[in-house]
Amino acid sequence: MALVLGIESSCDETAAALVDGDRRIVAQRIASQDEEHAPYGGVVPEIAARAHADRLAPLIAAVLEEADVTLDQCDAIAATAGPGLIGGVMVGLVSAKALAMASGKPLLAINHLEGHALSPRLADPALEFPYLLLLVSGGHCQLLLVEGVGEYRRLATTIDDALGEAFDKTAKLLGLGYPGGPAVEKLAREGDPKAVPLPRPLVGSKEPHFSFAGLKSAVLRAVESGEHADADIAAGFQQAAVDCLLDRTRRALDRIDTPPALVVAGGVAANQTVRGALEGLAAEHDMRFVAPPLPLCTDNAAMIAWAGIERLPLGQFDPLDVAARPRWPLDPEAEAVRGAGVKA
Amino acid sequence: MRTLVIDSATEACSVALFEGRELIAHEHHVLGRGHAERLVPMIAHLPERGRAGRIAVSRGPGSFTGVRVGIAAARALALAWNAGLVGYATHAMIAAMARAERGAQPVAVCTRGGHGEWFCAQYDAEGRELFAPASLKPEYAAASLSAALVAGGEAETLVERRGAGMAMALWPDARGFAHLNPEALTSDVAAIYGRAPDAKPVAARERT
Repeated sequence: MALVLGIESSCDETAAALVDGDRRIVAQRIASQDEEHAPYGGVVPEIAARAHADRLAPLIAAVLEEADVTLDQCDAIAATAGPGLIGGVMVGLVSAKALAMASGKPLLAINHLEGHALSPRLADPALEFPYLLLLVSGGHCQLLLVEGVGEYRRLATTIDDALGEAFDKTAKLLGLGYPGGPAVEKLAREGDPKAVPLPRPLVGSKEPHFSFAGLKSAVLRAVESGEHADADIAAGFQQAAVDCLLDRTRRALDRIDTPPALVVAGGVAANQTVRGALEGLAAEHDMRFVAPPLPLCTDNAAMIAWAGIERLPLGQFDPLDVAARPRWPLDPEAEAVRGAGVKA
Repeated sequence: MRTLVIDSATEACSVALFEGRELIAHEHHVLGRGHAERLVPMIAHLPERGRAGRIAVSRGPGSFTGVRVGIAAARALALAWNAGLVGYATHAMIAAMARAERGAQPVAVCTRGGHGEWFCAQYDAEGRELFAPASLKPEYAAASLSAALVAGGEAETLVERRGAGMAMALWPDARGFAHLNPEALTSDVAAIYGRAPDAKPVAARERT
């Protein structure tokens, strides 16, 4: 049975996990840096990199100990090699290289987005290729047709902000602190989603992509006007975001042969309103709806180890001098999109 | 006991393997960038892939990334080989190398920092730390560092500014480990960054 050690350090979660070929998360540890970044209202790259450097090795040791496993028993060492905050990615990748070199095991430099894209298959053995994946997180907002391991067709991406960023910004404007997603969702339950008129950027547009910058600015104006209750702004923002996701996903579905499943992954997939709306959309199109359990939606190392398990049969291992990549589109064929930056 | 020494905290990147105090193999490059790509292959090229019962690593100060790359590799190797782990300050290594070449005497060490500052430290003739590594503006560095012999990447600039002393342009090299004062070794391998991250809390930003 294949066993892979996975390492994740691309943003503000330091994580290590052991996953086997039976889709079993044998052990995993995650250390969040929320407390370190909270005073800054967002992730500070250098603070993140320092925290990863302090925490990663003890987390890996704890995971191996908990599972009572040695590196000799692992088939490969998998680590996020990008995209993400380069200082943190380097800490994880160099640690993985050293572990792989010392134990004589192969190294797998994993694309963080591939981790998210394949994670639904870790949770759901019945999920076969192809599937339409909506990847929504603090760093990304993409629609991907996942046709196989290493076969990803990007159908849409954001041309400015990621949706998770817009959630965090809204939380900051409403004084809800960081990270903002869960706080906005909670406050939105007490508000009227129709009370505050907010735009739905690109909804109905012919172009396939997402945009949230205009929505973010409108939230700022609504807060500054002083005319609206915070809960109504939160509810209005969340509804506008959901409407954007639904419209853009419908547009993508109109242009491809409907795959058997619609899958949502990434930190924003933890939002119950988002999940509920997408489930309805899947039902409309006679598609299965798959959303990984919440701990697999946010950044974690189990998804990196699982991507390693999926890549093992391909035998495409990485050399010890492989470089970390701050930008690394999953679909190299996808056209560049203005403003997308690392979110491409 | 075999010791693997890793020093990637500055523009230089080096590894050395010792049996007791005897140097078995080493590699040293002044890279500028690319430590994260080069370091582990350099270790892999050492005899027995650098396997050692003890790993010694430079904790900085230097480049934030270089410091982290070295420590991350050292911690992972210590875990994989169940090896001991010790750390030392970059500046203690530079001072040890300077003493080895110029004889026992006090050494000031001056290297490039960030934002126009220098990382400075001073050691006595035996290599004991008199002045722990700190980030200083060049004018304070010139006033604070009294030793005649100045070593490090900014040694010449400091001697010029001070108008006195002898400069040795030196980059740390893991081979110098044999000359380190044992007191310079610590069981704590946490990074010595020398400077706080460049970020202001929201509250501080709102006040300004």
